[in-house]
Amino acid sequence: MNSAAFPVAVLAPHLALGLGLFAALLAGMGRVGERPLRVLVVAALGAALALVWAWHRTQTGGPLIRSDEFSWLGQLLCYGGAIPLALVLSGGDISAALLLGSALGMGLLAVSGNLLMLFIGLQFMSLPGYVLVSRQGRPRSYEGAVKYFFAGGTASALFLMGLALHYADTRSLALEAGSGVLSEAGLALMGAAALFKIGCVPMHFWLPDVYESSSPELAGFFSTSMKAAGFLLLMRLVALGPDSALAGSLPALGALTMIFGAILALRQQGLQRLFAYSSISHAGNLILGVGAWAAQGARAAGAAPVFFYLAVYLLMSNGVFQFLRASSAVSRGDLRGLGQRDPSQAAAASALLLSLAGIPPTGGFLAKFLIFWELVKAGLYGALAVAGLATLVSLGYYLGLVRDMVFEEGDRLDRARQASLSRSLVWVCAAGALMLGLGPSLVSALARALGGGG
Amino acid sequence: MTLGWLSLAWMLPALFGAAAMMAGARARGVALWGSGLTLSLWFVLGWTYGLEGVESLSESGPVLAWGIRYALFTDGLSWSLCGLTAFLTLLSLLSSWRLRVSAAYWACFLWLEAALMGVFLARDLFLFYVFWEATLIPMFFIIGLWGSENRRHAAMKFFLFTFFGSLFLLLGLLGLVSENHRMTGGWNWDMAALTGPDGGMGLAIFLALILGFGVKVPIVPFHAWLPDAHTEAPAAGSVMLAGVMLKMGVYGILRVAIPAFPKLAWDLLPWLGLLAAVNVIYGAICAMAQSDLKRLVAYSSVSHLGFCLLGVFSRTPEGLTGGSLQLINHGLSTGALFLLVGFLYERAHRRGLADFGDLASRAPWMTLFFSIAIFSSIGLPGLNGFVGEFMSLAGMTRVFAGLAVAGVLGVALSAAYALPAYQAVFWREPGPGSVSAQVGDLDGREKAILWALTVLMFAIGLYPKPWLEMIWSAMQGLQL
Repeated sequence: MNSAAFPVAVLAPHLALGLGLFAALLAGMGRVGERPLRVLVVAALGAALALVWAWHRTQTGGPLIRSDEFSWLGQLLCYGGAIPLALVLSGGDISAALLLGSALGMGLLAVSGNLLMLFIGLQFMSLPGYVLVSRQGRPRSYEGAVKYFFAGGTASALFLMGLALHYADTRSLALEAGSGVLSEAGLALMGAAALFKIGCVPMHFWLPDVYESSSPELAGFFSTSMKAAGFLLLMRLVALGPDSALAGSLPALGALTMIFGAILALRQQGLQRLFAYSSISHAGNLILGVGAWAAQGARAAGAAPVFFYLAVYLLMSNGVFQFLRASSAVSRGDLRGLGQRDPSQAAAASALLLSLAGIPPTGGFLAKFLIFWELVKAGLYGALAVAGLATLVSLGYYLGLVRDMVFEEGDRLDRARQASLSRSLVWVCAAGALMLGLGPSLVSALARALGGGG
Repeated sequence: MTLGWLSLAWMLPALFGAAAMMAGARARGVALWGSGLTLSLWFVLGWTYGLEGVESLSESGPVLAWGIRYALFTDGLSWSLCGLTAFLTLLSLLSSWRLRVSAAYWACFLWLEAALMGVFLARDLFLFYVFWEATLIPMFFIIGLWGSENRRHAAMKFFLFTFFGSLFLLLGLLGLVSENHRMTGGWNWDMAALTGPDGGMGLAIFLALILGFGVKVPIVPFHAWLPDAHTEAPAAGSVMLAGVMLKMGVYGILRVAIPAFPKLAWDLLPWLGLLAAVNVIYGAICAMAQSDLKRLVAYSSVSHLGFCLLGVFSRTPEGLTGGSLQLINHGLSTGALFLLVGFLYERAHRRGLADFGDLASRAPWMTLFFSIAIFSSIGLPGLNGFVGEFMSLAGMTRVFAGLAVAGVLGVALSAAYALPAYQAVFWREPGPGSVSAQVGDLDGREKAILWALTVLMFAIGLYPKPWLEMIWSAMQGLQL
């Protein structure tokens, strides 16, 4: 610990992202094509990832900045989840700057050592998101952006109110537990803000519209990086009070979210909406993971299952959304006969869908298994039963999509377009999701990295 | 971590499956090599190490996380089931030799073989569960892609029903391991070393395990997936489903449920035995009502697996050994029946009992093999089915005679559903609309496949001693 020196090492990734942001804006003044901009954004994110990795052992505990295991794992997830979007980014310099700005906000959130900094990070990552949606040029983009803005605004208001209550009790903005009723209520309100961002039922209503009005790759970014940041925020708050009402309500909320998302996804015909509800269901599973983690005392090492799940979900969700982009499929009917038209894409997409459903031997199974196991260890059998039921329901649409693609026959889509990079990304994500299923040892390595025995 | 021979037994088909996928037009040759080598490996290892020796092949890797490790083991029971898997896979591939199918067909069968080998070899319960679930994926594609008209529905139903069971299995396993942790303080996933808790929690875990395994067996009323899956799957797929995949359920009960809860399994004997007896009778009655030959064989499997359960639940030496031997027997006889129905279907594109008649004069070889298989299936002395059924019922008689009576009734019923169907297809005068005229006799390849099965049926039926000794060596810990 060296809190006296300015934590350059900790903030170096943020500097890289900030420089990238400026470079993107400068590039916008000249005439720069899409390709150099993509390279720039990917380079900035890659540099940030490398810097996080290089200095991840530097631990700092200043008044505003704090770097620990959660910070660097969270940053890896947030920046990593943005790379598939960055690789196929469209919309010129503005989009590039917005994406880097949002990533910078997530990075700040990850290293915040202070409630106000958390709020700034939250705002910083969210505001570019609203604008990104509005710039999609889809029929309902503005509607989606406005909904997103109001939901996000509500979340910010809740957070600020909770922060005020917490401050009233503890007289401090530091990440410290309070003891009174006020700080308990404050924690609950701030937690509600995080749950808003995650898309926890009943605070999910904005999410399907936003994902549907975004391009598939942007929806992939929202469902991975944004959610990872949301979960990081939630875990920071839960760590303040593992016995609080907020932590106690998580198992019930998670179970509700998981089953609700799964049931609604069953009924969807539009693919982006279907995967939006699927992401709600997965968020429910993660909330259950956080709940079980809190019930066992919220020790850092115990968070490995949640981080592993986020990592696998990063690959799976980005993979399916890139698949939607590559196949330009909009509704379930468009997927019919894909197995004959494009066997390799259908195979990769099937692997991703089976992983999302949690069938061994995929990473999705291992991730789900670990969360289930945490629930058993925490004694949350009711939540476990609901989670099992939701998994069964979710098979209905994941397997149904595999059936549509592989078993059914259909006509060629006339709007098929060449998106070779997305096609490769689908492959990379599918391969990654499968590889992660082979290594329980990875999880114990993760647990060790988080500061505990495997 | 060094990988040994047992790892090779499941990795070999897995790798050959991947190779077949990439081999394009030559996939079937690659697949045949893969399954042939796997069977040879099984045989050579068994021959070299002997019955006592295969147990020394066990492998155990370092702990990966929370007591989970890569650990394989084998004994008489699992080794014989591995042999059944390798043998039936090879025959399934041979039987599909003329099919015009894509490379994925051949790869799926090899991956299925790999996963099944893994199920029978795994010692670590996590590994067991992974293999257990992994069997679903290739079979889902085999039914859904290459099955008959209603295949899509059947594939979904198969996956959803059996996954429903798997969830209970997972809950049971998680409960077992965590309760064990509570009692001993250590994380242990070793299926041979786990004992379950007493009381209500123990009962809940045991019932979850029985339900999880029972869907696979299938225990009535969780059998609804079976007739559709077996009927819609391609012939080779039905062989693997009935011949091997149903055995996973009984294997799991023998390996996990009973060893972890020896006392509970005994206390609940009347209820478990009742389930088994219901299986025997209900399956037989349903089979009597079928007019589709394939569906009839499918329901007969429900009945036959009931015999296995009757023997296993009795926990007597003869019951345990006979019930387990019946697993192998059923694989051979039902495998032969599904293959024969498949050959009929290839020729006439029909499977109805009313579509055929007087096949005996047109296809004498087919008639011969069908007769032997059906007599083996209904338990005629001299053939393998008799040994298994007799010993299962003898075991149950010692502990609960009433249930054994139900089992004997099932034997009579099995003759009542099998013989009329056999008579209708092979001996009766063909009715109007009969397609018997299109049916030619078996060719050399088909005869070779059926000879292999028939020789084994006679071998086990006439001299069961070595097979029984092999299985008994694995059963001694389970008896009361």
